[in-house]
Amino acid sequence: MPGRGTGREDGTEPATSPKLPLNKEELNSKIKEQKVVVDELSNLKKNRKVYKQQPNSNIFFLADRTEMLSESKNTLDELKKIHQEIENTEKNKIKK
Amino acid sequence: MEAQPRPSLAAAASSTQPLRSEHVARLREEQEKVVTGCQEKIQHWMKVEHDYEALQERLSTLPDKLSYDIMVPFGPLAFMPGQLVNTNEVTVLLGDNWFCKCSAKQAVGLVEHRKKHVRKALDDLKKVMKNFESRVEFTEDLKRMSDAAGDIVDIREDIKNDIEVKGKHRTAHRPHSRPKTSDVFEAEFVDDPKSKGSFLSEKELWDRLDELERQEDLLGELNKKSDTVFVNGDDISSSEEEKEDQKTAVTVKHRVADSPTQGSFQKDITDSKLLNGHMNGSSSYSDDDDGSGGDDDDDDDDDGGLGVGDNCVPTIYFSHTVEPKRVRINTGKNTTLKFSEKKEEAKRKRRNSNGNSSHSIPELPNIRTPADVYRVFVDVVNGEYVPRKSILKSRSRENSVCSDTSESSAAELEDRRGAMRSLSQDEAACPDASEGILEEQENQQKKLLPLSGKLEAFSGTVIEKELLSPVIPHPGTVHPVLPTIPERKEVLSEVSEETTKRISKFKAARLQQRN
Repeated sequence: MPGRGTGREDGTEPATSPKLPLNKEELNSKIKEQKVVVDELSNLKKNRKVYKQQPNSNIFFLADRTEMLSESKNTLDELKKIHQEIENTEKNKIKK
Repeated sequence: MEAQPRPSLAAAASSTQPLRSEHVARLREEQEKVVTGCQEKIQHWMKVEHDYEALQERLSTLPDKLSYDIMVPFGPLAFMPGQLVNTNEVTVLLGDNWFCKCSAKQAVGLVEHRKKHVRKALDDLKKVMKNFESRVEFTEDLKRMSDAAGDIVDIREDIKNDIEVKGKHRTAHRPHSRPKTSDVFEAEFVDDPKSKGSFLSEKELWDRLDELERQEDLLGELNKKSDTVFVNGDDISSSEEEKEDQKTAVTVKHRVADSPTQGSFQKDITDSKLLNGHMNGSSSYSDDDDGSGGDDDDDDDDDGGLGVGDNCVPTIYFSHTVEPKRVRINTGKNTTLKFSEKKEEAKRKRRNSNGNSSHSIPELPNIRTPADVYRVFVDVVNGEYVPRKSILKSRSRENSVCSDTSESSAAELEDRRGAMRSLSQDEAACPDASEGILEEQENQQKKLLPLSGKLEAFSGTVIEKELLSPVIPHPGTVHPVLPTIPERKEVLSEVSEETTKRISKFKAARLQQRN
């Protein structure tokens, strides 16, 4: 099945980890990652299968492609939001 | 250090400033290390918590479907498509490679339980981190302070010793107000050793002593009847029994710097109320009324306070007015026993008869110091000589091996209770024999005991104002200065020689100084 490759790629998706990165650098890398994930998922063919890795284990669960796309988009938005907040606070600090 | 602007302050600051900037910096470094370590640990535990959360989520949704299409890991790199069945059946690692088969719901419960632990660890770590962060802040402040030492000045005031010894603490102390006064004294005493360096020169000391002596003489003339005994704090419990007409004055000057038994002295002195007399003035010449033998044992209250005000020598003077008709036994543990005049007289009679009839050995001239008393008053227990704890008791209780029904035990009982006073009079006649034997033993003991030994009972130098003359109306009886040294038995017999030597030295020096 050709969907395997995309499934692997999707396995790196940090679906529930947007609260973790408190560092600005970490946040930036996460955002980059998420952007790649979103691009890849949006460019998949319709018949591809998408697998999601269970965190902290090696098992990949079959997931719905569109669902995964929307989910990753959401996480990307959240990450961007956090990034924006951090930048705002830094600006305020500089002003003060 | 480098930021100190004024050279005059620099020296003082560098000597008193324990916070060097580099040390402070090092401290801060270490504290920051702790903080970063905490942060790392927190990260780790956060990850663990996150993992557990993901697992919990998966477990809670796992039984939703009968089977899942999954990629089954086939080694670390290979996968093959498969199906996950039995979705409501998981094995949980309990630890040490023991597993437990349970449902998904139970597994969720287990995960929740573990998450609780993780959260607790996280909280602890956060607390530690917060604590150390505040410490880092403080250290930074400290660093700033030590860097800018010129701005901060240490203000100190050296309190000189003379101020403290002045007779400011004059209080009318009744026996019940004892703790307060003793507290005051203790505080001062504690301060004393610090001031060793600032002691007066010997010359001044001698001058002061002479002056005190003069005052003593003066007052002594005014109060002819009063017997004044200055004793060291330890030995204050002079149980004066018989010498009404004998005037005795023994002054013990306790110099703090010299005293070898300072600690014990301090302890004892806090207990003793006689100290009060000391604090307020050097001597007490109050001729106490011969009251009913009740509570008023204020013979140590000083009415004629000389005042130590003009002198700054941290000297402890002790005064004790001998009261002829009452006996106080200071047992050293805040207990004071009293005797009635009646009983005392009975005892005296008894002893007189003994001394006159059985043996009239002139033992009195030997008693010049309290130590002599202990040499004279000893018990024979199992063939060994044991000094008495109290001369009023024939033998110490724990050492009394022989069963005696004699007067001595009776007297002891009386001593303790103070109740059966009339009995003693009646009993006086019968136990004469045993008493006589006892005294014989005592005399023997006196001869046998070695006189050498190191000085322990007295920590200061003893001045005998008037040496005890052998002119005592009742020879072979009890002696004027009979202090009890309650706790130390072994010392008692050894002290005398040294003490007398000291006296003579002291006196000699004094005479020399006068000349």
